[in-house]
Amino acid sequence: MRYGYGRPALKSSVDVQLQTAFSDGNWNSVIRLADKRAKSLKDPYYEAIKVSAESQLDGAAERGAVLNAIEDLVKQKTVPDIDTIELYEWAAGDFIGEEIEYADTLGPLRVKWAKANPKSPLAMGCLQSCLEYWDLVSAQQISTALDKAHLNSGDRRFMFWSITLTFLLSISPQCSGPSRKVYSLLVAKQLERAAEITENTPKVETKDRGLLTEEEVCLYYRVLLAHGNKDDFVKRVRSGGLGALVLLEKGHKLLFWECLDALEPWGEWDLIFDLCRQALRLGVKGVTAPFFVCDLQVWKRFIAAASKAADPEAALREVQDILKEFFAIETKTAQMYKKNLSLALLESSFRLSALAQDSAQGDTGMTPRVVQIGLLLDDCFDKLAAFDDVKGYVSILTFEEAKALVDVILPKMFDSIPDKARQVILKSLICKIRYLLATCPQTLSRHPSVVDGETQSQPYRCRFCSNLTSLPCRHCLQEIITEAAETYKQITADQELQDLIPRLDKDPRQDLALVVGTSLLKLSGLKASSSSASGAPLRDVQPELLLQAILLLDTQLGKTPADNGLRLLLAQLCLLIGTTSYAQQVWIPMDVKRTIQDALSPLFFDRISTLSPALFHGSRPLMQPLRSYYGNSLGNAPPLKIWDAFSSGSYTSILDLSKYDSRLRTSCTLVMTLVEEARATRSFGSKVDIEIADHPLARDIEDDTLLINKTDYGSFPNLEGPLGPQIQEFVRLGPELSNERAHIAFLTEQFFDLLAYKPPKDYKPARPHDAAIRDRNYALESLTRLNHSLANLIHIPSLPTLLTGPEMTHYNVVFLLTSALLASLSTARGDPTPKTLAPVTSSIRTALSSLRTSCYHSCPPRMPPTLFALTDMHTVAHLRETALAVKHSAGFILAFHERELARDRSGKSALHRDVVSEMKALEAVGSKTLAETKSHLQKLKELLGEGGWLDRILEWTFGREEEEVEREGEGYKAAVLDIVGGRDAAEEWAGKMLESWRDGVKGWLMVRWD
Amino acid sequence: MANFRRFRPEDLNKLSKCNLDPLTETYELGFYLQYHAKWPSLFQVAEDQYGNIIGYIMGKLESSPDVYRFSEHYLPWHAHITAVTVAPEARRLGIGKLLTEQLEAAADANDTWFVDLFVRSTNYKAITFYKSMGYSIFRVVKDYYGDHSSDPTKSSEDAYDMRKPMKRDVKKEHIREDGEKFEVDPSDVW
Ligand SMILES: CC(C)(COP(=O)(O)OP(=O)(O)OC[C@H]1O[C@@H](n2cnc3c(N)ncnc32)[C@H](O)[C@@H]1OP(=O)(O)O)[C@@H](O)C(=O)NCCC(=O)NCCS
Repeated sequence: MRYGYGRPALKSSVDVQLQTAFSDGNWNSVIRLADKRAKSLKDPYYEAIKVSAESQLDGAAERGAVLNAIEDLVKQKTVPDIDTIELYEWAAGDFIGEEIEYADTLGPLRVKWAKANPKSPLAMGCLQSCLEYWDLVSAQQISTALDKAHLNSGDRRFMFWSITLTFLLSISPQCSGPSRKVYSLLVAKQLERAAEITENTPKVETKDRGLLTEEEVCLYYRVLLAHGNKDDFVKRVRSGGLGALVLLEKGHKLLFWECLDALEPWGEWDLIFDLCRQALRLGVKGVTAPFFVCDLQVWKRFIAAASKAADPEAALREVQDILKEFFAIETKTAQMYKKNLSLALLESSFRLSALAQDSAQGDTGMTPRVVQIGLLLDDCFDKLAAFDDVKGYVSILTFEEAKALVDVILPKMFDSIPDKARQVILKSLICKIRYLLATCPQTLSRHPSVVDGETQSQPYRCRFCSNLTSLPCRHCLQEIITEAAETYKQITADQELQDLIPRLDKDPRQDLALVVGTSLLKLSGLKASSSSASGAPLRDVQPELLLQAILLLDTQLGKTPADNGLRLLLAQLCLLIGTTSYAQQVWIPMDVKRTIQDALSPLFFDRISTLSPALFHGSRPLMQPLRSYYGNSLGNAPPLKIWDAFSSGSYTSILDLSKYDSRLRTSCTLVMTLVEEARATRSFGSKVDIEIADHPLARDIEDDTLLINKTDYGSFPNLEGPLGPQIQEFVRLGPELSNERAHIAFLTEQFFDLLAYKPPKDYKPARPHDAAIRDRNYALESLTRLNHSLANLIHIPSLPTLLTGPEMTHYNVVFLLTSALLASLSTARGDPTPKTLAPVTSSIRTALSSLRTSCYHSCPPRMPPTLFALTDMHTVAHLRETALAVKHSAGFILAFHERELARDRSGKSALHRDVVSEMKALEAVGSKTLAETKSHLQKLKELLGEGGWLDRILEWTFGREEEEVEREGEGYKAAVLDIVGGRDAAEEWAGKMLESWRDGVKGWLMVRWD
Repeated sequence: MANFRRFRPEDLNKLSKCNLDPLTETYELGFYLQYHAKWPSLFQVAEDQYGNIIGYIMGKLESSPDVYRFSEHYLPWHAHITAVTVAPEARRLGIGKLLTEQLEAAADANDTWFVDLFVRSTNYKAITFYKSMGYSIFRVVKDYYGDHSSDPTKSSEDAYDMRKPMKRDVKKEHIREDGEKFEVDPSDVW
């Protein structure tokens, strides 16, 4: 039916002249000709052509005529003409979702037609159209009609379209609670009937109404699961006709996998045990391919279930017996499965030893499980994934076991390796394991935290080196640095080794540099962002060690640019110290684009407008790729590719696509995109195209929408113990994206939009008095709504842990400003002074002054003041934003007051005298803060323009050359310099940092300060 | 170390280990979802113990459009590998091979004549990989890629169209010995 840009074909009975005019888009001719034909032939179809052609003209009345025509058609009792529906749907395209709802108009028309003509191929087109507008109610009705009409056609899709759509309706906000319930019951009944047919029919044929294909059976289980119907689910999983193993035997794994996923949270461990055992045995017996279900996850679940059995030891022995059978045939299989088997054996050893806890803890620590780790490493230490494979196990060893691993097993392994290249690989793995252990609490013993009445800063004793420490042990980290640096140097000095490196999977120096770098980061005092939400991120940091780490990682990346883990780490660190333009240079080669942006872009773009608005002034709009990704993916109402899934009979994909679509519409990254761009646009005083709340991508965001963060940290090189904070927590500026932060930032932008709103210049209301009341009411309504929504967020107890300190202060001020504005606008001139105003404005002043203090007067003694200033643009940005919010809020009130004075000379409708003076005072504070901040940056710029900075940056990094004092850190200075290639190389790096800092400060002076 | 299972859309948030590698192309969302919608069992992933995707294969079943039935380039019912990739840290463990074998099993189950794919003529690693599994070059598509992966002075690169016969092709009618010598234009393939 459709061609071109969705323009339908006219009926073939239409004459050539009109057809040609229509296909040429010659609308005036179409209107004239169609009008003539309508009059002469008395066929309403020509009237429809005319109305549709009018809708293509510019005039509002002509354009709207099609809406009236649709309305008339909806009111008619007769079955509408399908070609007319097609025409109207095309002609009304731009109005759907705006002026008219598909589900109230065209959807029901399509339903009426399809019900009258269910056997026509066009009925399927009606279903498709309803799905294109995601009108589930109409689509479900059509699918039911289609199913009834094709009962014995052999095309099973009709039945399952109807079932799937009924299910989608039962979980959709498109219908009310009670109807959802009805649909739930309906779909359950339909599927139950189908399931019974399958269970009771020896061989289900295509024409039967049972469950036949993998997709059909999985759909049934998905519905059971969604309805929380555990008993029926469990009963079916065990059954002979539809059980999880039936499909497995036919070579389909999906159901088995989904059943395990469902049973685990229900705690159905016996059933899990049984299913895994049987499924694995099917492989051994040759019913399925031998390793068909030999996935690590299956083994882990099998083992977890065994350890929860009535006799866990016997069950675990049974697991090991099955493992043995697999080991007997493993020679014929892929390495990956061999690895899975070894890991499964390790997992079972850990579970067994947990049962016999006491006996496992010999003095020597040489327990079976530690020996098992040794065996596994012996096999695969030179594989890239070796560390990640054992990390989880090593980190839960007892101290004695860890010591046995580090002191006995690994050195022995090292000595037994004949070739140098593999030796250095093992050496770098050992360094990583030692670092890992240094981050694990069992390597420390508690030491009195108060001695002689004094609180100790180092309340632990390290069991490896016996020094007093906190976690991780500083002394051990120092040793690890020395050792890793030694190995690094050894490689660099040995030509023979270097020649061997290209043949290895990875240059071991990458890992060694990582170990040294992360150890330096830890020694520098960098804290996990979740544990130190307030204040500048570097307040408690020893800057030289942090800078050394950055220098070292940067140098390594220069040598091995394909190392994405290192790249991610370095990009974050550069954001942290304010070298933002350099961070961008590090970021770009990863080519994060299209689909992976939702998960990866936060790693660079989150908070970017508070770090460096100048980046938004590049050659291409900074957020454009993100915006266009969301535009392409979410631009239409239905989930992408949903019709493909319907027409292919991929029922579980339909459910997946619909779920993913809802998820993406409520993505924290999506909100970040809108917020960062809005902030930057405001910074430069550019005109906002569209207020944030009206943005098409923000359509699905309400106050109670749960916004979801799916940032992917999987590629960060994590040497940290899995139970503690991961490396991304340490290097990220502030807490990660969250529902709460996304909402509060989104509301704050709405507040700024409200303050910036100005009526069009030529707007002269006919009744100024009414218009003034309307304006005031509108402002009061918006403020009440924002104030209420912000209050709900600000009062969440955990909020301070989800924001940086400056963010917390800023958002709190925005909240207070909404209160102040509400009080100001709702107090008439003659009323008593609003009591709430003074305390609120005083809190605002205090908050602003605390931000000022953080910016200008809180540089810790060990931090060079210029470095402190350069690394804390995030606070400066919030000082500026807060001052702007204060100033614009006051300006908003004062402007209102002035307008009222000008309009109503009596002064009765103007604002209260005290309000006006309070606002004037606030405006002055805001302006003063802005001027002061600008001048602070101006001075910084001038300072950076002076000479001698390279030396000074090297001094920040390594201390003064002439200083002979042996401080903590002096030891690594040599190691770091060795690795990076001496002072000249370091100077080159300092040059890059300097340039980037200069860029950043210059950028800040480009933004608006008034 | 790894699990093999069907792709689910949430996996798109876990692609970094594969897709940050420059040899792996990242597509628009609709591209991935189209495969999940139309051929869900031919889109399989390998995931590591932390939920990261460390390998995937996307494939489809098709024949050339009917209008080309009498063209010499007509492709009968077959399976096509659109993409296969394994994260650098998980290579040479057999993951790529297992993913491909799984697709071949589906190709046989659907009674196809062969499995085919396009690969850059300079991607030696991948070519060796396919050859090791019994694929051979069927024809060379001149200047199929609009850029060159290793030589920035060149503005295009040839593709090898590689094939492996499936059970249905008993007489091995759909492969040829000296496919390197058969050159076709990009407009001849679809
Ligand atoms: C090509 C690729 C998918 C191979 O995946 P993989 O999991 O490493 O491959 P496997 O371990 O299954 O290898 C199977 C066999 O292929 C051959 N092979 C694979 N990689 C090879 C390489 N780098 N060099 C030589 N032979 C290789 C070997 O014969 C190997 O068997 P073996 O290890 O027992 O000797 C992977 O290298 C990759 O993702 N490359 C980047 C993306 C790409 O180029 N995709 C193909 C685009 S069409």
